[in-house]
Amino acid sequence: MKKIIISLALVVLACQSQAQDKYFTKTGKIYFDATTPASPEKIEGTNKSVTCVIDSKTGNLQFSVLMKGFEFERALMEEHFNENYVESSKYPKTEFRGQVTDNSTVNYHADGVYPVKVKGKMNLHGVSKDVETSGKITIKGGKIIASAAFAIVLADYNVSIPTLVSDKVSKNASITVECVMEPLK
Amino acid sequence: MKRKTILYSFITVIIILGALCFVAFREYNRKHVDVADKPAAYTISGAEIIKAFSADEKAANSKYLDKVIAINGTVKSVDKDEQSSITVILSDAGSMSSVRCSVDSIHNEQADNLVSGSQVTVKGVCTGFNADELLGSDVILNRCSIKKINNN
Repeated sequence: MKKIIISLALVVLACQSQAQDKYFTKTGKIYFDATTPASPEKIEGTNKSVTCVIDSKTGNLQFSVLMKGFEFERALMEEHFNENYVESSKYPKTEFRGQVTDNSTVNYHADGVYPVKVKGKMNLHGVSKDVETSGKITIKGGKIIASAAFAIVLADYNVSIPTLVSDKVSKNASITVECVMEPLK
Repeated sequence: MKRKTILYSFITVIIILGALCFVAFREYNRKHVDVADKPAAYTISGAEIIKAFSADEKAANSKYLDKVIAINGTVKSVDKDEQSSITVILSDAGSMSSVRCSVDSIHNEQADNLVSGSQVTVKGVCTGFNADELLGSDVILNRCSIKKINNN
């Protein structure tokens, strides 16, 4: 009887620890910037509804971004972004699946800032590509803040820039990620 | 006589050019229209739209994406971050799925006194569906405004 109770307790504990390994957010932020020195204005968009999950045990990391959720200051720019560049009606979702490659260097139980490397595959505009970047994991009061900044070559994802504006829209969009994640219960 | 014709056509061209510039300038500077002022293409309950997306995401995308949608539902929680962007989460009790409404900052005050359990109508632009076994599935609305339904 005692054995059963103990093993049951162990199972419960195991389940709990498994659940607590994962952290997530559904309100992560991604900033998109394709401004060049020749741009007459800033070409910036913000998405405030990014879903992100990280498994602190394995370092597995996953992002899901709805392209129509990018907000630009100018309505016209937002329409161009959606209709001419990323074709968000055809490809509504961008996903990244990857891993923190040096996950063992992060102590998820101690507050601190840990520089990390992230590697994975991003699917944008119907094209899947390998992405590798350095980022930062900040542990603060039981929360994980994942941040990273990297550039993507738009042509890699078959996003073409019309020649008329080729010097005004950057061929390399810079992407900034900021996700404050809470433990998944 | 000929001179006059030239003058008139010259003036006409100037006026047309001016008008074009004006239209282009206005279009370029066009601001987002407040979604609250736009008519809703569909009025639907939270549970129904989640069902539509879960059943056939592609069909639901082509029906709802980019459309102004009014959704009736129960507030599960209100999420406010450091940059004071507010997300109102509509979900029926016990359901893992929800409708997540990112509130337009000009309407932030409408989310102020919402408590979980409030009956509301949220109007916003549908940006899509995020399905996840672990986290539950969500229909996402952007640029939302909120109206409370008084049922007492």
